[in-house]
Amino acid sequence: MHSPPLTLEEPGTILFTAERALEGHCLNRFALSLRDDQNRQSFLADEDSYMRRFNVADGVRQSVAERDWTALLKAGGHLQAILKLAATVGMSLWDVGAHNAGCSAEDLRNASPRYVSGLPQGRF
Amino acid sequence: MARIVGGIGISHTPSMGTEFDRGVKDGFDPRWQVWLDGTRRVKDLLAELEPTHLVVVYNDHLNYFDLDNYPTFAIGVGSSFRQADEGWGRRDLPDIPGDVDWGIHLTKHLVENEFDMTVSQDLSIDHGIFSWLPYVLTPPWPVTITPVAVNMIREPLPTGNRLRSLGKAIRTGVEAFERDDRVVIVATGGMSHQISGSRFGIANEDLDKFFLEKLPTHLDELVDVPLTEYMRLGGTEAAELALWFAMRAALDPHAEARYSFHTFPQITGCGALVLAEPGLVSSSKES
Repeated sequence: MHSPPLTLEEPGTILFTAERALEGHCLNRFALSLRDDQNRQSFLADEDSYMRRFNVADGVRQSVAERDWTALLKAGGHLQAILKLAATVGMSLWDVGAHNAGCSAEDLRNASPRYVSGLPQGRF
Repeated sequence: MARIVGGIGISHTPSMGTEFDRGVKDGFDPRWQVWLDGTRRVKDLLAELEPTHLVVVYNDHLNYFDLDNYPTFAIGVGSSFRQADEGWGRRDLPDIPGDVDWGIHLTKHLVENEFDMTVSQDLSIDHGIFSWLPYVLTPPWPVTITPVAVNMIREPLPTGNRLRSLGKAIRTGVEAFERDDRVVIVATGGMSHQISGSRFGIANEDLDKFFLEKLPTHLDELVDVPLTEYMRLGGTEAAELALWFAMRAALDPHAEARYSFHTFPQITGCGALVLAEPGLVSSSKES
């Protein structure tokens, strides 16, 4: 795998901006409801109708169904909220990261830590 | 009156916690054994500081707070703080004991000093504190804790300068508390890591070591670096290093660096720094 670039541009970095926080409000509300075990069971029993209760938009529900983690982050899902969803469906941070990085979770594990170097400038 | 006796900066990650539980049961993964070994000295030094209370500046990861209302600064006030369920159930650890007198006092002091704190009376706490806590203290937790939660979730994040000011306000708050407590200030976050986007797994050990080396003596220079620079060089979650500014600023400018340690087990730079106030004597010799 190539070395991560030292920039904050996409697709390297998907920042959780104020605009994304607003856009992803229903998605995050739904995902964070999965902090509760009873809710996890309800979701697993019928994913689509559970999400409808949180007014999750059609396209976003589709991304959840497809486990399209990258699309969910771009739709305003916060990684920490999406992780609750991943945990609920038996997947992990590695699966989310691998989807973002466009590789398999195993390749990502083997490549990490992905070392870079660089120091801030200043009067040190 | 209460006084600050020392400060600790330490990283947190969910796997630090789960690997502790697994390690105690079945033996530690070699990568986490290094972290366990490195934190033995932190545990000893913390014990030598003989704290009766900890103020912990940390960040929640959408495990207690959510985006309906997201506070920039919040303080936990209560007699105990539960462990949050992060999506895979709770670890077998006792609740964290709080101290209502400390919570009320620090809230009042911080607000009077223009930090408009959100007050959380039923705070539950995630791996931000629970992941490293068993590495440096053994349950049942021997000291009470006041948790101070800082927004590291949603832009805009508070500035490094604001966190330095928070640390200074915590110091004057501790010194104004009318009980002879010995207080250690802990900041937890970082070090370099990013867990989303195609830069997932970025690891800048040079940055982490530089930060550990400079924080004891070059706080102002580190604060002058924009948070986005830490994010660019060390990954978005390296912004959490700003929490360490609060710890450093809460201590005397001449505080002594007693120990620092760093390793990179997997996807998060894991560092620890222990500072002690100058001219420290043990509690038995104080009275």
